[in-house]
Amino acid sequence: MGKKMNSEPLGKFYNGGRTRTRREWRGVRDTWYDYTRWLGNWGSMVKFLSNPQCLKGFFRYRWMQNYLATPDFIDRHTEGLRGPQLRVAHKEFDFIVTHVCDTMKSLFEADQRIGGDPEKSKKMVILDENMMTQIMNGFPNLRGNCMQIPAIYIPSTQQQDSITFYIDKAQEFGIPGDVCPMPAGELGVALEDEYPICGKCALQCNTTCDGSLMGNGIEERRYTMPTWQVAVPIRYTDPETRSYAAQEIKNAIRFVEEQTGEKWDWGAYFKRMENFNKETEYFRSWLEISRTKYPQVIGNNVALYRDAYYQVGGGRDPAFTQNEKEICEIMLKAYGEKNPVVSQARHRAILWGVQAQYYSAFPLWLQNCWGIVPLIDMLSLTSTELYSTTDKEQAYYDMADLYAKMNMRNRSEGGYEVGVEDLWRLCQEFDADTVIMYEHIGCKSMTGYHGIFEQEALKRGLHLIWVTHGLMDPRKASRQNMRTEVNRYMRAVLHEEPLDPSLEEFDDSNAW
Amino acid sequence: MKDLKYLYTLENLLQDCDNEMVRAAKEEGQLAVGTVCYQLPEVLLNLPGCFSTRLRAPRTSSMEMGTYYMTSLTCEYCRALLERALEGSFQFLDCLFEPASCSQMADCAEDMEALAACTKEKFFCQHVDTPMKDDDNALSHLVHMCRVRVLDKLHEVYGVDTGDEALRKAVALHNEVCRLITEMGEYRKELRPRITGYEFAVFTLASYCLPKDKLLPILRETAEELRTREPDERHKWRVRVVLAGSEIDDPDFVKLIEDAGAYVAADRFCFGSLPGRQEIVLNDTEDVLTQICRQNIRECQCPRYMNTAKINERKSYLDRLAHEYKADGIVFQQMNFCNFWGYERAGATHILGELGGWPVLSVDRPYVVGTSGQLRTRVQAFVERIELKKLQGGNV
Repeated sequence: MGKKMNSEPLGKFYNGGRTRTRREWRGVRDTWYDYTRWLGNWGSMVKFLSNPQCLKGFFRYRWMQNYLATPDFIDRHTEGLRGPQLRVAHKEFDFIVTHVCDTMKSLFEADQRIGGDPEKSKKMVILDENMMTQIMNGFPNLRGNCMQIPAIYIPSTQQQDSITFYIDKAQEFGIPGDVCPMPAGELGVALEDEYPICGKCALQCNTTCDGSLMGNGIEERRYTMPTWQVAVPIRYTDPETRSYAAQEIKNAIRFVEEQTGEKWDWGAYFKRMENFNKETEYFRSWLEISRTKYPQVIGNNVALYRDAYYQVGGGRDPAFTQNEKEICEIMLKAYGEKNPVVSQARHRAILWGVQAQYYSAFPLWLQNCWGIVPLIDMLSLTSTELYSTTDKEQAYYDMADLYAKMNMRNRSEGGYEVGVEDLWRLCQEFDADTVIMYEHIGCKSMTGYHGIFEQEALKRGLHLIWVTHGLMDPRKASRQNMRTEVNRYMRAVLHEEPLDPSLEEFDDSNAW
Repeated sequence: MKDLKYLYTLENLLQDCDNEMVRAAKEEGQLAVGTVCYQLPEVLLNLPGCFSTRLRAPRTSSMEMGTYYMTSLTCEYCRALLERALEGSFQFLDCLFEPASCSQMADCAEDMEALAACTKEKFFCQHVDTPMKDDDNALSHLVHMCRVRVLDKLHEVYGVDTGDEALRKAVALHNEVCRLITEMGEYRKELRPRITGYEFAVFTLASYCLPKDKLLPILRETAEELRTREPDERHKWRVRVVLAGSEIDDPDFVKLIEDAGAYVAADRFCFGSLPGRQEIVLNDTEDVLTQICRQNIRECQCPRYMNTAKINERKSYLDRLAHEYKADGIVFQQMNFCNFWGYERAGATHILGELGGWPVLSVDRPYVVGTSGQLRTRVQAFVERIELKKLQGGNV
């Protein structure tokens, strides 16, 4: 018990119940910091609920109850952290809390189901889940909102069994049990009529996977607004697909203009892309430092936050840029001081495949239990290009490029080059000796490469550790099942002992 | 009914991808062009000097290698194809076109490529991006991709003539095959049909997998034979159904349904004739390739097409087929692990059942089902359900 990492057995906090037995003691300074941030997050949530529309939304929608686990969610994602890493984590996760509160507030204020303002609804464009939002950068008077993110995506990380109800509803409807639980859960929400009713029009896309676009087709029947589909090329690495992709973006913009009466504003678009580029530059510096012996922003401190500002933020919110600037300052100072991120760094790992939403804190467990440093994950390795802030025609191509390189899709579609070969290149670049290979049971996108991954890793002398999971459905593979796969490899193949033996096996099956 | 003269011949030929007819075409110097999906216009792969063959894995039993590379969580059709490729059964191919049909098929084709499953010196596997909508932008994209990734590639590697005249010749051949298949298929509308769904499935499947110029004489003779074929006085079927859904490359599946008492009057599945065996009508004013691609996009009923109009059209198309072919119900099947057809089956089952009033048997199945007792039971129960409701005059 103290300010050093691994100074107390973290597994002992879990006793099979919903919450842990007590808060972690991290030394006076870090504990006090962590506690004040915990209070701050409660403050953000109380402020959110003080809005009458938000309160109505809270009682109207079943999925809202999952947000009560938010403080626990943040505790899970800061477990074992100290000093700069703890501060970076809070900067990110606390920021996401306020951002999500703002997103949901805008949804509920426009929600016709709970008596929201019709004028606000008319100024809203509903976007598909996992859809890049840069298309809204040229519409400063409109707000793009994705209903599936607060209903499914975020809750699935807050509480492990948060969306099983909706998955079951989709399966009752007839959706096979072997599909990805994410679009199935989203469809379940639609079938239960649990999406807010708002928006002037909707944009759907094929950016995630085959299952997602098929779920959209059925969901659209529940929408009460005109809907347009943006079909991004599947083999997007083929340069011959680019003009088609750019035209898809033009057509989508025209659709939004026709439906809302708003005109595309190049000035607004370029200004926001300047922000986006700035954020990309910060991200590049994170990666640069992660390639060195003293990585600073790693694992959970990259994964979810990168999703948020790359895809959802899209350059529209300058607060993201400011936040990243501050994170960079912490990171550079820590790097200068050669600050260690784990008590004993035994392996440098790249996390490939799709992470388990119900165990998004898994990278932190790798650090704390086995000293595996999760340098970067596949979902975060999206585009690091800087996009044009002056050329209008090029901008269409840029947006199309971003859509093609949406989180996950940029690896799961596009073929070997980006799905398989890039992994080996990245292992070299980051000097990684280990690959944590997530195998999401319902995902059909990368599973077909299974054998090739094994063969190639063997050829290259890399430790490839398969971690099977059910993405948003812990009934398919529990958190402990995921941990056991790593434990077995570490003991049977590498003959190593854990840094924190209490974390090797513990009961969190009922935890949030 | 008297047996069709060539049924047995085709049944035997279809037991193997690299069969006698394929070998005869190869000996004449024709190129064997493999494909895995309807997304690319088939006619482009049948230019003079080439013949297309849509890959299948007949007589599949073990899929151990396919499962190692693709896991047991993926579509068995893809796994079976990979297995076959690794066993060396596709060595006869000169090239393979994979039209980005679905993630699993793309992985399967890439695995074949990475594992060098086809070893001919000039063999290539071409991945072609194909659109997922049917608007003008999608059409121009398909035209462009077909030009640069299909025609130019065939010309560049094998010197295939890809000019307009060659395309028109390929269309003429395609049209004759389609005319004959359509003529044979029209007999299924008769209440005492002179062709069984199984027989028709064999001839249609052959038209996707065998060299068309070699198959044509057989189709011509069979069409002639059917013109005078006398149907049985009493047939064994108790109801008529449309068979819809994902890939079926095994006519024994159709046989299983018919043996359980349901006549398969219409075939709206991958490897079926509706759509897929419609003539391409060309004019002299527009670019030939554009005309071919337009027909492909407009007719395609694959759930991969994601725009609202296409989504709705798929249901109304099935509804129309069921009326046109005097069906009593619809059997909607889907291969396990198929994302596209999994969702489509679930949605269509509700929409056709609740809005269209059609009784729908909704099933998921493995790749090999020829003798599945479980499926037979489900079809039998479905037949009884339709019969009972008809007797009771209730809503089926």
